Amino acid sequence: MQVIQVKCPKCGNPIYSKQKDTVFYCTTCGTMHIRNGGVQVLDVEIGDFNKNAPQDRVYVPFWRMYSTVVINNVRSEGGGFQKLTSWFREGDNSGNLFIWVPASEMEIERFKNMAMDFTLNPPPYNTRMDFGTVPRLPTVMRQEEAKEMADFVVVTIEAEKPGVLQYLDYTLTVHDAKLIYLPFVSTQQGLVPAF
Amino acid sequence: MGIEVGLNCPACSGAIKVVEGETTVNCQYCGSMLFVEGDAGVTTISFKNMITRETAVISSASWWKKGFKARDLKRVGQVTECYPIYIPFWSTTTRVAGWICGYEERTHSDGKRTYTERIPKEELILRDYRFSEIACDPGDLGIRKMRNIDGETALTDFQTIPTFESTTSKDDAFAHAKESAMANARSDAHVPHITFENVHVFPESMSMVYYPIWVVRYTYRDRMYLNTVDGVTGSVLSGRAPGDPLFQSLAVTAGTSIGGLLGATGIIVASSSGEVAIGCFVVGLIIMVGTYLFFRGGSEITEGDFSDRGFKLGDLKNVASQLTQGRVGGNNWGDI
Ligand SMILES: [Zn+2]
Repeated sequence: MQVIQVKCPKCGNPIYSKQKDTVFYCTTCGTMHIRNGGVQVLDVEIGDFNKNAPQDRVYVPFWRMYSTVVINNVRSEGGGFQKLTSWFREGDNSGNLFIWVPASEMEIERFKNMAMDFTLNPPPYNTRMDFGTVPRLPTVMRQEEAKEMADFVVVTIEAEKPGVLQYLDYTLTVHDAKLIYLPFVSTQQGLVPAF
Repeated sequence: MGIEVGLNCPACSGAIKVVEGETTVNCQYCGSMLFVEGDAGVTTISFKNMITRETAVISSASWWKKGFKARDLKRVGQVTECYPIYIPFWSTTTRVAGWICGYEERTHSDGKRTYTERIPKEELILRDYRFSEIACDPGDLGIRKMRNIDGETALTDFQTIPTFESTTSKDDAFAHAKESAMANARSDAHVPHITFENVHVFPESMSMVYYPIWVVRYTYRDRMYLNTVDGVTGSVLSGRAPGDPLFQSLAVTAGTSIGGLLGATGIIVASSSGEVAIGCFVVGLIIMVGTYLFFRGGSEITEGDFSDRGFKLGDLKNVASQLTQGRVGGNNWGDI
């Protein structure tokens, strides 16, 4: 059992940070990596801020997972339209989509709502190479957990539509998981997208 | 949250704290990002013993006075042994995320007829559950879970008092943590009839926590008893104590009266309904025999997680079912 100082796997410089984060960002060379048994360098995407976005800017990490969903059977009490199936091509019971899961610690309702919103309405954003001077929220969710949470998001979308879900038979295949930092602005009402 | 552990930053030696189960921490002095590498993924933490032998004895004596224990226990009880020992526990926090769907049935009556209404339910579960379980054979200490998580801790052993060897595996502990979180989630969902369930369980990394416990052995009228005291908080965790004779005899009287009454009722209604009568008579007889067997060996009060428990009020109603399965013996209720 030991505690070690984290160093960048690419340039060897120690990583310094004002907050704890499971994703380590090297300010010298821009490399991001995680440690989970071994060292894994992450391919990360950073969203650009809308030019008119006010101050109090912050980056929020998300796991974005390209996935295939097949809905075999769904039964609800009280009816309601099928949210996921309406999203598929007409007549199809399956489709491909990006499932978004917030990767930072946040209040449960907000977590659920952001996951649903971004999965059903993919956020349009431009990318950039670095974070500039904008702070990041720490990532607390591991990649393997995110893949399981993708499953949770699929069921949540079906459960949250009008009617009370009673049965759902489906399959979900997650093809990849990428960490995306999206631009947000802190307001009195909480975090608001700023892409 | 979880247990906090004190350690020194490898870069600047500053004293910092890391929360159990978390693998990253940043040093608030030099800003270095630090990573905790456990042995085979297990972090070992020990709590510092905070109480003295005197505190353990005083705490035990005040426990002797509480509840329906023998009224002269405080005066007659004699501590024969009092020593501290470290007990190992597996400890983790488990996050649960998912949906439990199904329905609940409610029966209504409008005076003429009754009908059953089926109310569909979909419940979201998204929360953390703490888990701990003893990692050795606790013998007859009456301890299975860790009750307290606040106190001075370190990643290394304090090594001033003897330690119980851990005998159970990390994999079993993980499996139990998952089962326990799943059971808690189902219970929190309150869906009596489940038709669909999709629940994900994420245990954090597992810790082995060494916790100081004081073992206090004492005698009361030639009988040996034992209780344990939490070495961090100083409160009694578990124990066995002699019951109060007055309270015992009152309970016996109540038990036999109900038994007798049911028996008598059985004979009276015998003419009108044979089945009910035999049922009443048998139940009455069982209760009478049960209360007799229950107290023949002397009663005992227990507190804590014992597999065979001493006297608790709820036990009276269990006597009948245990009797029919032949599990109530003569003296084993009272002996340690
Ligand atoms: Zn670097």
